[in-house]
Amino acid sequence: MDAQSLLSLTKWLLVFIFFLVIYSMALVLRLKKIDPFKEWNPTKINGGLMMLFFIVGTIAAVWSSAYWFPKFALVLDPASEHGVSLDRMFWRTMIVSIAVVVVTHTILFYFLWRYQDRPGQKALYYPHNNKLEVIWTVVPAIVMTILIADGVRNWHDIMDPDEATKEASIDVELTGRQFQWDIRYPGVDKELGQAHVKYISGANTLGLNFDDVKTHDDILATELHLPVGVPVHVHIRSMDVLHSPTLMQFRVKMDAVPGMPTNFYFTPSVTTKEMREIKGDPEFEYEMSCQQICGGAHYNMRRVVVVETMEEYQKWLSEQKAFYTTFKEMNPGMDEGKTADAGDIKEIGTLTSTN
Amino acid sequence: MAESNITSDFHLEVGDHGHDDHHHHEQGFLQKYIFSQDHKIIAKQFLITGIISAIVGITFSALFRLQLAYPDTAFPFLESLLGKWAPGGIIKPEFYLAMVTMHGTIMVFFVLTAGLSGTFSNFLIPLQIGARDMASGFINMLSYWAFFISAVIMFLSIFIETGPASGGWTIYPPLSALPQAIPGSGLGMTLWLTSMVFFIASGMLGAINYITTILNLRTGGMTMDRMPLTMWAFLLTAILVVLSFPVLLSAALLLFMDRLLGTSFYLSDIFIGGEVLHHAGGSPVLFQHLFWFLGHPEVYIVLLPALGISSEVISVNSRKPIFGYKAMIGSMIGIAVLSFIVWAHHMFVTGMNPFLGTVFMLFTLIIAVPSAIKAFNYITTLWKGNIRFTPAMMFAVGLVSFFITGGITGIFLGNAALDIPLHDTYFVVAHFHLVMGSASAFGLFAGVYHWFPKMFGRMMNPRLGYIHFWFTFVGLYLVFFPQHFQGMGGVSRHYYAFTEFSFMAEFLDLSKFITYAAWFTFVGQFFFLFNFIYSIFRGKVAPANPWKSNTLEWTTPIKPQHGNWPGEIPSVYRWPYDYSKPGLKDDFCPQHIPDEELDYEDGFEPPKPVKPKEPAQTEGSKE
Repeated sequence: MDAQSLLSLTKWLLVFIFFLVIYSMALVLRLKKIDPFKEWNPTKINGGLMMLFFIVGTIAAVWSSAYWFPKFALVLDPASEHGVSLDRMFWRTMIVSIAVVVVTHTILFYFLWRYQDRPGQKALYYPHNNKLEVIWTVVPAIVMTILIADGVRNWHDIMDPDEATKEASIDVELTGRQFQWDIRYPGVDKELGQAHVKYISGANTLGLNFDDVKTHDDILATELHLPVGVPVHVHIRSMDVLHSPTLMQFRVKMDAVPGMPTNFYFTPSVTTKEMREIKGDPEFEYEMSCQQICGGAHYNMRRVVVVETMEEYQKWLSEQKAFYTTFKEMNPGMDEGKTADAGDIKEIGTLTSTN
Repeated sequence: MAESNITSDFHLEVGDHGHDDHHHHEQGFLQKYIFSQDHKIIAKQFLITGIISAIVGITFSALFRLQLAYPDTAFPFLESLLGKWAPGGIIKPEFYLAMVTMHGTIMVFFVLTAGLSGTFSNFLIPLQIGARDMASGFINMLSYWAFFISAVIMFLSIFIETGPASGGWTIYPPLSALPQAIPGSGLGMTLWLTSMVFFIASGMLGAINYITTILNLRTGGMTMDRMPLTMWAFLLTAILVVLSFPVLLSAALLLFMDRLLGTSFYLSDIFIGGEVLHHAGGSPVLFQHLFWFLGHPEVYIVLLPALGISSEVISVNSRKPIFGYKAMIGSMIGIAVLSFIVWAHHMFVTGMNPFLGTVFMLFTLIIAVPSAIKAFNYITTLWKGNIRFTPAMMFAVGLVSFFITGGITGIFLGNAALDIPLHDTYFVVAHFHLVMGSASAFGLFAGVYHWFPKMFGRMMNPRLGYIHFWFTFVGLYLVFFPQHFQGMGGVSRHYYAFTEFSFMAEFLDLSKFITYAAWFTFVGQFFFLFNFIYSIFRGKVAPANPWKSNTLEWTTPIKPQHGNWPGEIPSVYRWPYDYSKPGLKDDFCPQHIPDEELDYEDGFEPPKPVKPKEPAQTEGSKE
């Protein structure tokens, strides 16, 4: 036995002896019918502890909130246009919530401390008061109505943007699979070609239908690049189980459902460079994650999102090669519109693998 | 009268034999304690099975909290405990998800549904309404044994080769339908679904019994508006169970078919494991609708009994009538009705039609109104009371605190627009663990501490109770309050590690803190466990009415026999909340004592005697 394990064994032994001592002391006290805590009044102690809990708890809550506040990236520094109004609504709701929690808890713990059982004291017989009931029915109802109105407006603005936004938007497709995101751009024709799991074959892991000429200029990318200030129409697909592409900093989230394409419109408003300055972190990157449980590596479906100026975006896009071209180069013998066999083209599968 | 029918059912002679009826109860051990039809024994069976489930459930959480705090650290003891699921002492991602899934399933269904509602509905309904037993003792027994089988199957699934179900407690397909997607979706998922079929059967058998008993077997004078709030809570809970659990059964059966028979209810256009599956035309969103049609009422199935118990405990221990008795009933009915039309607030970002989101946001936020009424009524009950800090009382007021803190974040999550960023983050985890998990667990603890003397004829040690309370109350706040911070930082739930994303990695320190707090809380539960077991055998013998309570259960003998009351069932003359009534010498006046027999202060003129109302058999039908 080495010294290390001897030491840890001794530690456990000491703990064991400690408990034995306490236990035997308790036994002695019981045999001798001595109650060392007889003088303690549990009502007073617990009433006091309730007050203490409230005071210490409030200080701890305020201090810890202030300490962690700069890291609340989900509700601070939005990087999209709708994110600004969402965050505003979040903090409004937060003010209401804090007010409710503080007021109710102050009263609750004050009452617990103030109205402890005292000998000779009789409680007030006070079974109901309809006026009070009406007050705390109507006030929450009004507050909720305001919050609902705010929520409905924002929800519709986000889910159903106006026609002008839809017209001006660029398309991009996110496809979830265990465990990575595939990113597809429509290419020069600005239209995404047809894709379905039944066309999957070999390196064509996304299932593009090459009979549809619109697929011929489609681009597959390993990073999501977006131009700042331009509405984006995200088309969302899944190949296997549910996923949920989440662009946290842009307040974007929508499940990817196999068999049911979904979509989301948003407008990035802050470039990666600008956000690095805001955050004071030169390493900062926007990140895309999955937020619907999808299997073992659910925690690791990361893609980097780059928001840049229109020029930078155009430049980056022009450097990308259409997938169909790559695919043809790898399959020199293939006929137009026919998909290739799996075996001989495995190498280019690396194009879509995780970084 | 119904009472006499029941009596003959149980071969229990009342009246002259009352004092010496032991020879009527010569039952074997098996009949008395195992296949018992007595509601009190069945309640204890539910409670003990619930406590064992809770030990399993929170042990899982203590283990997976280790992984979240120390994602790259090896804990050799984990390998000896979990074997191949933690090679080298590091938990595998798949098994992490399995543990999360089992923790959720066990805590929600086995502990907080069966362990809470099953225990106290069974124990209290006949005792508080004045009945000899449940309407059908046999169905009641079946209810427990269906639950037992369900629990056995669920626990067995932990030990199988491919591991237990791992798709989250909501078991969304396709993940839960495809063994290729995660190993737990193989046999583990089949066992999960089988277990739930038994569980649903158990819930239905129990609920039908509770409803029938409450509506039909109330004693003389016990009208619906004289029932303790616990009874109202259990009645509404049972109605929710009857209306919502069958929908879960249908969802489970369709999932069974997709898994075993190759149908396509939930599956469509799937490429997995190198092949395209034949499924076409199904919709995973359909499953979510069916699941949450149960799932949301389930939240209130868990919460309402806890609210009922805390109403009773708070009123008794502040020596005051519960404030706004009728408003409390009204708000519970409101919550119960609304709980059926809010389910899709779990689904705002699942791709369903955004218009639906608007409707469900509206109803969801309306639930805040009855909830606010309840919270304010609890607080007003304490005002100018004479508060006795029994352990039960402390857990009941702890519940009120959790109910407010946890409930308030519901107005963020119920708001469809705010749900876009917050959905499936730790903000949600914090929300439901406080309002549904912690609040309901506190209801369970309050109930056990309060009715332990009636269950086992002995008192629990109050000092250990206080220690347990402070460990749990402080511990749970330390665990779940900081999770709001993680949520606001975008940390996602169901994540095996927070190391892969830079914005989540910032919260690793906080994760460690939460894990310490979780272990602190975990350790505190042993005070309860010890106290519970020790007091059953060695606790102080309980007096007849230890809390000076008004309700009928304290009029039975200290350890009630089969049939509850040796003589006639007492009649009821008033509501159960006449505490500290002016003019009375005592600060309580039990329901079964007529006005003329009460002890009045000198110079106080007692009210004229009023005849007890007839048993309210017709009243029940209007509910």
